[in-house]
Amino acid sequence: MTESPHADYLAGLLRSWSEKPTRPLSWLNELRAEAIDRVSKQAFPTKRDEEWRFTDISTLTHLPYLPSRPETSLQLQDIDHLFLPEAKNRLVFVDGHFHQQLSSLKNPDELIIGNLPDFSASHSSILESHLGQHAAFDHNIFTALNTAFLRDSALLIIPKNTTVADPVHLLFIAIQPEVTSYPRCLLIGEMGSSVTLVEEYATLAQSAYITNSVTEIALAANAHANHVRIQRESKQAFHLANCSVALDHASRYQSTSLSLGSQISRYNLDIRLAEEAAECSVDGLTLISNRQLADTHTCIDHVKPNGTSHQQHKCIVDGAAHAVFNGKIIVRPHAQRTNSSQSSRNLLLSKTAQIDTKPQLEIFADDVKCAHGATVGQLDPEEIFYLKSRGLSEVAARNLLTYAFGAEIISRISIPSLKQQLEQIVLNQTQSN
Amino acid sequence: MSAVLQSLVNQPYKHGFVTDIESDIAPKGLSEEIIRLISAKKNEPEWLLAFRLKAYQHWLTMTEPEWQNVRYPKIDFQDISYYSAPKPKKKLASMDEVDPELLRTFEKLGVPMHERAALAGVAVDVIFDSVSVTTTYKQKLAEVGIIFCSISEAVHTHPELIQKYLGTVVPVGDNYFAALNSAVFTDGSFCFIPKGVKCPMDLSTYFRINTEGSGQFERTLIIAEEGASVSYLEGCTAPRFDTNQLHAAVVELVALDNADIKYSTVQNWYAGDEKGIGGIYNFVTKRGLAKGINSRISWTQVETGSAITWKYPSCILRGENSVGEFYSVAVTNNYQQADTGTKMIHIGKNTRSTIISKGISAGHSNSSYRGLVRVAPTAEGARNYSQCDSMLIGDQCGAHTFPYIQVHNNSAQVEHEASTSKIGEDQLFYFSQRGIGAEEAVSMIINGFCKDVFQQLPMEFAVEATKLLSFKLEGSVG
Repeated sequence: MTESPHADYLAGLLRSWSEKPTRPLSWLNELRAEAIDRVSKQAFPTKRDEEWRFTDISTLTHLPYLPSRPETSLQLQDIDHLFLPEAKNRLVFVDGHFHQQLSSLKNPDELIIGNLPDFSASHSSILESHLGQHAAFDHNIFTALNTAFLRDSALLIIPKNTTVADPVHLLFIAIQPEVTSYPRCLLIGEMGSSVTLVEEYATLAQSAYITNSVTEIALAANAHANHVRIQRESKQAFHLANCSVALDHASRYQSTSLSLGSQISRYNLDIRLAEEAAECSVDGLTLISNRQLADTHTCIDHVKPNGTSHQQHKCIVDGAAHAVFNGKIIVRPHAQRTNSSQSSRNLLLSKTAQIDTKPQLEIFADDVKCAHGATVGQLDPEEIFYLKSRGLSEVAARNLLTYAFGAEIISRISIPSLKQQLEQIVLNQTQSN
Repeated sequence: MSAVLQSLVNQPYKHGFVTDIESDIAPKGLSEEIIRLISAKKNEPEWLLAFRLKAYQHWLTMTEPEWQNVRYPKIDFQDISYYSAPKPKKKLASMDEVDPELLRTFEKLGVPMHERAALAGVAVDVIFDSVSVTTTYKQKLAEVGIIFCSISEAVHTHPELIQKYLGTVVPVGDNYFAALNSAVFTDGSFCFIPKGVKCPMDLSTYFRINTEGSGQFERTLIIAEEGASVSYLEGCTAPRFDTNQLHAAVVELVALDNADIKYSTVQNWYAGDEKGIGGIYNFVTKRGLAKGINSRISWTQVETGSAITWKYPSCILRGENSVGEFYSVAVTNNYQQADTGTKMIHIGKNTRSTIISKGISAGHSNSSYRGLVRVAPTAEGARNYSQCDSMLIGDQCGAHTFPYIQVHNNSAQVEHEASTSKIGEDQLFYFSQRGIGAEEAVSMIINGFCKDVFQQLPMEFAVEATKLLSFKLEGSVG
């Protein structure tokens, strides 16, 4: 360990980890201890690891950013511009720590929502069977670190056959510079339930910090979750995120994720269609410029027959930015009649922009329909010509087409205020003169 | 229906026999002495020995790759004999002087070379266990200035060309198996098409691995000068053995301005038995350098044999407006494994590439397409189209796609498409409704699936390939 160049950051984290239990729950303490043990046995990935070939995180590993401390000075008016009027239930976390005063819980009877430690005694058994069970940390050092430092966590349990009409907003705000925060979410959708979840990472300061987040989503039979994920961290920040989704029989998971901020961001989305007839649709938009690097790795694992998955991932890359997409689809033996489609579409706006995309299929069953496609390029000259023939200038035509390219993904978001906000962001970022 | 298909799949390997010719075999193992021995046996100049030793030094520092999607027991490189040659004979003046045993071998293979040469107008540079025995049509080619001979002959007759080009496309330290090949290659073909010459016939060479336990390390070098064009055919069969044989060849192509090289392969080496025992390990490095403006390199391959096929015929598109093409059909059955595809490296302006890959897996086999399309910052206006389709026959096999797309220039257009399908009951039903039996229907569906690739093959290869595929997959559908 001591010889590794990562020693500073890792060693600092390992030292700062304390065994002191937050709550007298043995399984939770065991989980954390097991995770810290895994951390000490792993090293940070380098470009020599296939999964990290295009994303160099060596700069991050030299930063001595220690875990953040709770920060309570934040006032409601500082962050109310980030609120969604549609979302009656809102959990706010500041640097990974739950902030009661800024959160708002309107209908706590209908569902179980709040900070995980408040429920760890009352809902111990259900938490034990889910927390840390979907996001495996044996071979993922970031998930292991997050689990080891697990304290506060957004918890959402949707009871059987309950439909939560309004979206639930999980807002993770970063304010302290040069710290590492460990946001964590757990969503358990019981049988036949339905919910829309907005998971948002935002900042109030354009400083450098590290966010290492883990989200676990478990949907029981016939449950449905619409998961909107927005990453608009500081342009100096490092964002490392893992999301693991487990789908039971005929459950449906919809994901729309946006990567806008961060100097270096990495989002791993693993979806396991563990039972028959599960469905998922996964859409993503990466919109980056300057020297940003955004890496999205998704893995959709069809374990049982009759599953369906649809994925569309788009990247708009400007400046000297670098986007990476790796979309793996696995169809296990006997997962017959799987229907899967995937498309990776990429737009390079500048000469120095870079794309590395790898749509990957691994198929072990014969009665399946699987297709994927990837394109990299510029705007279609014919489309530009068409708009010009309608009287638009070259620049206006380009801006319009670039905007439309990104807006396709945003149009899938069902929350009007959020959609509007994001459309504005895409509009601003894609306009050139 | 399934019974018919079963019987079809389980057709034994037709070309499994061993020719009994006394071999001149080097002791097993790899060391500097062995390399010096090979070099001495072949009476090689000093610079080539230096080339081999440099490669060997490189190889010693390298570790065997592990990223590939194929599994095999660890190869003991000290348990391989690196040189075997038929006993040296005096120079052959005519066909009559060729060892009758050897001729009978070709007879059995169904390619009597004189007949084949005469009928098809093909010059066959026969490689029999690493040493060129005879070369036909040499004279006709010599008239237009084409050099087509074994590489060991070229080392003596045209050392300047070999020295200039050998190892320029695939450097000695390129990869583990290429380094090994560079150290111990025994023979192979050399072809040089001078300025402005269109090769009057398809060039062909017949590889055959003969001695049990001797790995074959072929080295092929093809150079097309300005405005030259050539179509090169490579076909392979090997006798039936139970110990795995390593085949680590290197093929280098160089195309100068306006030159055109078309390289076609039909590979049907012994694939092991239905339990997956035995068979050839086909670990080959094939790469073409489209060096000049408007040059074109085209790879076409039909891979049906070998226990493991692991190769990526690639194109480095350096010249402006140069074109790279890759057409491939890979068929795996029983316990065969294939990890094959291509690399298209766009460096020059307005370079274009096309990739069409068809993978068919049956039985317990696994077939992977792995491809790289890289557009360098200098490749203004580069264009790529890739399509890779897989067909699965049965539920015990696997098909995988790993396309790497790396674009560093915003004027590039890169498209990749992939799909997976199977032979449907409804398709077979439709055929039987029209009075076409299951067996023939499967053959027709598969040939339709591979049509885009077969169209690229020279005529006689296309016929062979179609037949090969049908009997390879006989009995696997049902």
